[in-house]
Order: sequence, then C-alpha cells, then structure tokens
Amino acid sequence: MTNQYIENLLFYFVVSPVIIAVILYLSGANRFTRIVALLAQSTLFYFTLQNFLYVSHTNNVISSPVGGYYGFMGIVLVADMLSSMFIMLTAFIFLIATFYSFSANHSPLFWLLKFLWQASLIGIFLSGDFFNIFVLTEIATIVVTVLIMYERKNRNMYDGMIYLVISTIIVNFFVFGVGYLYRMTGTLDISLVSERVRYLYTSDLILPYALIMTFVGLKCALMPMYSWLPKAHGSKGAPSSVSAILSGLHIKSGLYLFLRFSDVFQNGGIDGSQIFLVLGIITALAGVIFAVSQTDIKLMLAYSTIAQVGLILVGLSIGDIDGYNYVGGLFHIANHAIFKACLFLGAGIISHYYHTRESTQIRGVFFEMPAISIAMILALLGIIGTPLFNGSISKYFLMSGTGWDTNIILNIVNLGTIIICIKFSAIFFGKKPNIRKKPLDIMSHGVILLLGVMCFLMGILGIQTINFLFGYSVYVNIAGYTEKAIIFFVSLMAGYVIYKAFLTKEGPAMKWIRTSEMGFRGMCFSMVAFFAFILIAVGFYN
Amino acid sequence: MNSIELISIIVFFLGLYGLLTNRNIVKTIVFASMMEVGIIMFWLSIGFTEGMVAPIVASMFEVDNYQVYISDPLPQALMITAIVIGISITAIKTIMFITLYRKFKTTDWDIAKIKSKEVSKEAIQKG
Repeated sequence: MTNQYIENLLFYFVVSPVIIAVILYLSGANRFTRIVALLAQSTLFYFTLQNFLYVSHTNNVISSPVGGYYGFMGIVLVADMLSSMFIMLTAFIFLIATFYSFSANHSPLFWLLKFLWQASLIGIFLSGDFFNIFVLTEIATIVVTVLIMYERKNRNMYDGMIYLVISTIIVNFFVFGVGYLYRMTGTLDISLVSERVRYLYTSDLILPYALIMTFVGLKCALMPMYSWLPKAHGSKGAPSSVSAILSGLHIKSGLYLFLRFSDVFQNGGIDGSQIFLVLGIITALAGVIFAVSQTDIKLMLAYSTIAQVGLILVGLSIGDIDGYNYVGGLFHIANHAIFKACLFLGAGIISHYYHTRESTQIRGVFFEMPAISIAMILALLGIIGTPLFNGSISKYFLMSGTGWDTNIILNIVNLGTIIICIKFSAIFFGKKPNIRKKPLDIMSHGVILLLGVMCFLMGILGIQTINFLFGYSVYVNIAGYTEKAIIFFVSLMAGYVIYKAFLTKEGPAMKWIRTSEMGFRGMCFSMVAFFAFILIAVGFYN
Repeated sequence: MNSIELISIIVFFLGLYGLLTNRNIVKTIVFASMMEVGIIMFWLSIGFTEGMVAPIVASMFEVDNYQVYISDPLPQALMITAIVIGISITAIKTIMFITLYRKFKTTDWDIAKIKSKEVSKEAIQKG
C-alpha cells in the first residue's frame, strides 16, 4: 500500500456510495437490491478499515486533491487519524443498519437516501475545505428530512419541516462566518486558513468564530438549541435504523466539526474551551432532566443523547489537547455510537412488536425477546458506566484530573443517566403480555447482539481499543478506577432509591417538562441568544 | 467596509428579525431566503472593490494604459453553487409546506405544533 493508493481511495469513499445509490434506486425493491446494498456496505467498511490501518500505522496525513489541482487550487480531501476513525465508524454503523433493515422490504428510495447520506457524512469527515462542508451539510439535511418522514402511514410533516427550516437557517450563519474568514485569509482550505489566522488580530476573528460556532452548536444540539433533536430522533415516521444512525453518527459530525474548527480558531488566539465547558455541563444536566421526564422509549433515548453529547463536549474542552480528558471524550464518541445504535435498534424492534412506544405499556420484554433484552441491558450497563464496560473507561478518563466542582457535576449527570436507564429497564420486567408471536428475524437480532457484546469487549479491552482507535497510549490507575467503581455503586443505589421514591408516578413538574415544547420562534430566538452569548463571552475572554 | 457589504449585513439581520417576529410559515420561508440573499451579496462584495474588472479575458488587464486589478473569481463561482442549493431547498420547503397545509389546514407555526401533537398522540397509542 502506498500513499498514492490511499489518495485514490479517499475520492472513492465519497463518490462510490453515490453511484451505488443510483444503481440501487434503478434496480427496484427486491432481494437483489438488498444483497447489493449489503455487499457494497461490507466492501466500503473493508476499505475504510484498510485506510484507517494505513493512516494509523504510518501516522501520515494524507491529502488528496480532487481532480489533480495541487497547491490549494482545488478541493482537497484530508485523511488523518481522527477523520479516518470517523469514516470507519460511519461505515461500520451503516453496515449495521443495513443488516438490521435487510429483511424489511424497503422501497428503492430508502436505499438511495441512505447511501447519499453516507456519502455526505463521509464527505464532511474527509473534507479539507470550508465550502465543501456547507454543501455536504445541506445534502445531509435534505436526506435526513426525507428519511425522518419516511413511513408514510404515520409521518409527521411538522417535525420534518421544523428540522429542515432550522437546519437551513443555521447553515446561513456558517456560510456568513466562512465568508469573513475568506475575506481575511483569501482561502477556504482549512489547513491554510489555520496557518494564516496566526497573522490576524484576534479581535477580527471573534465574529466569524461566533457565527461558525453557532452552527456547530446547533449540529451538536447544545442547550438552548436542542429542540430539533428529539423531533428528528423520535419522529413517528422515522424507521429505527434511521434513528440509530442519527443518534449514533449524524450528531457526531457536529462534534467532529467542533474539534476541527476549534483547532483553527485556537491558532488565531481564540480559546473557547471555557465557554464550551460550561455549555457542555448545562447541556448534560438539562438533557438528563428532560430524559427522565419522558415516557416514550425513543424520546428517552433521544434526550439521553443530548446529555451524552454534553458530557463528550466537557471531555473535549477540559485541559490541554494531550490530556486524558480529551482521549476520554474521543473514546466516548465511539462508545456512544455503539451503545446508542444498539438501544435505538432494539427499541425499534420492541415498539414494532408491542405496537406502542409508551414505556408504561411495555412490560415483560425479557421473556418475549431474551436475546435483544440481554444486548440492550449490556448497552444500558455501558451507558451508565458500569465497571468493566466501555462507558466506565471513557467516563473514567473523561473525569480524570478535573476539579472537584466539575467532578461533582459530572457525577450528578451520571446519576441522572442511571435513573434514565433504570426507568428504561422497567420495560424488561413485569408481567408477560399476551401477544401473538412473530417470526424471529435473525439478522436484526444478530447485529443488536453484536453491538451489545461490543459494549462489553470495548470495556474489557478499553486501553487497547483507545490505542488502536486514537493512537494514544494511556493507562488506568487502579486506585482511581476502584474509587470510581465505588462512586458508581453508591450512585446506582441512590438512583434506584430516587427512582422508587419520586419517579414511579408522574408529578406535575415532570408532566410540565414532558409536554412543554419549543415552537419555531422559540428555536429562532434560542439561536440568536446562543450567537449573542458566544459573541459576548468570547469578546469578554479575549 | 464598502456599501455593498454594509447592505448585505443589514439584509441578513433583517431576515433574522423577520424569522423572530413571524408565525406565518410562508413568510418564514421568504425570510430565510432573504438571509441567503444577504450572504450572497456579502460574498460577492469580498472579491471586488471599485475599479476592478471582471476576470474574463487576459487582454483586459490593462485598460487605457492603466494597470487595473481583476476581481477574485472564486466567490462568484461559489455563490452560484450557493444559489442553486438555496433554490432547491426553498423548493423543498414550499412543497413540504403544501403537504403540511393539506393535512393541518393552517399557515401558522404554533397551530401546526398543536395539531401535530394531537396527531402524534394518536400515533403513539396506535404504535
């Protein structure tokens, strides 16, 4: 394998899903389409793995100019360790989703959109210039809008409309910010911009920073702007595989852009890490409160995604770039993709089986579907950070070396996550319902079990996984880990007590939180407020 | 700061103001397009100052024995892309609005929200 080979490969990572999408669309809804889709996904995963292994082994940053225009003349695709990891994760989650929806006879439109979505996500992760990110984000937005209203029977136009309008308004902020950067630096290439911003005044960069970070904040569903996420993730018309990809991957594109853009602006002297630390903490706390008050199983998972993103953001913002918190944040991205995909796919099967999504009406899943229940319980144990599971490793690194105040808040967030999971796990137990058995679908059960087992394996082999995925060699301090385990078991008991004491019956406050919902103007206002907050806070710090 | 740039920023924030103050779905679609127009004007103002010539033919680099500067062609090329994307997205929004109107019989965001809640409540109970 040579650099040249990988350079060519990068181009095909973006283009080949588009070509396959068209082929699948033309071939119609039959078994052939699904087999081709599966083969294509497997091949793509194989090549992304190959790319990742090469990049991580040689530690090269491979940049491939599209169309052969060298020297910052044209569009560049860049694969470094981080973006290679992200495209490998993309290919993996899409492969899982394809296995999951193999036996459901979806229309050719579904496959077309799914592959286009994959192409645009891989494009965002590989893109080396600002304008490409804009174009690919727009494509992804349109595709997601159609996919969350895919099931015609119970689709909700309002959810799709809100998602589309809000996402396209926020992209305007991004293009505006990029325009400022272009005016000052004369280029759109991210690496070149991050070199040239060194020679600019920091005060000139505040406005583009605020504009671009508002865009990133909405993509990550940070606190005032979270409102589109539960609509998109928990929409009634969205197939479960779409929800799983949305929660596991799509939201990570926002975090990825956050990492990339903060690097750029850090060179220019703007350090927003304190601001995003605070925002991450607020997001995590609020996400937990919202999630606890939900009764719809998909919405519980969706709001818990907001909390986990806040947690990841805290990890990425604390300390310096080589710190353990940063590694913990990165590892939590991968972990969250795995266990959230598992939970959403499992929730899809359960809600299909029980014909409802109300957690109060679903009981006795463990007796009906033992395999799925075991996988989902493994994923739940991962998300709450049970010792030896993947979440515990990433949360251990995420919290290591934080001050006592941050540490306490993060432990409260974890306690909240535990309560959510206890509330969620009530569906597994209880009386067995009287429902006619449906035939077992081996493929979808298989992938959910695989994801559940991965949650456990990535915990046991946590250090090795971090070394493999991110190239950091870290070690776990046994004393610290034991302390964390003790805190975990104490908060597990506390969570159980709190759940039994206060949360088994819905109080008026919970009902208010559950039913209150931000309207369109509220969302626009929250965007403006976020923008103003970033502008003022960055101006104050610098 | 030249005048085009100033106007473009004003147009952008006028669009934002319109989004904050309107409940009508069609008007919000229009105001979102207005923000886009502001951005396109802003980008076009980047590569151009008074007295520049268009980057078309090499012989126009000197006009009447005066050295003139050519304007930057890249923003214009990019903005064509942005315009195309903007048009297609406005089209999708409009089509979706028509479908939403047929179902909910309203042009108001807040009423649509209430009606969609009722619809989703039924959908949850049905599964």
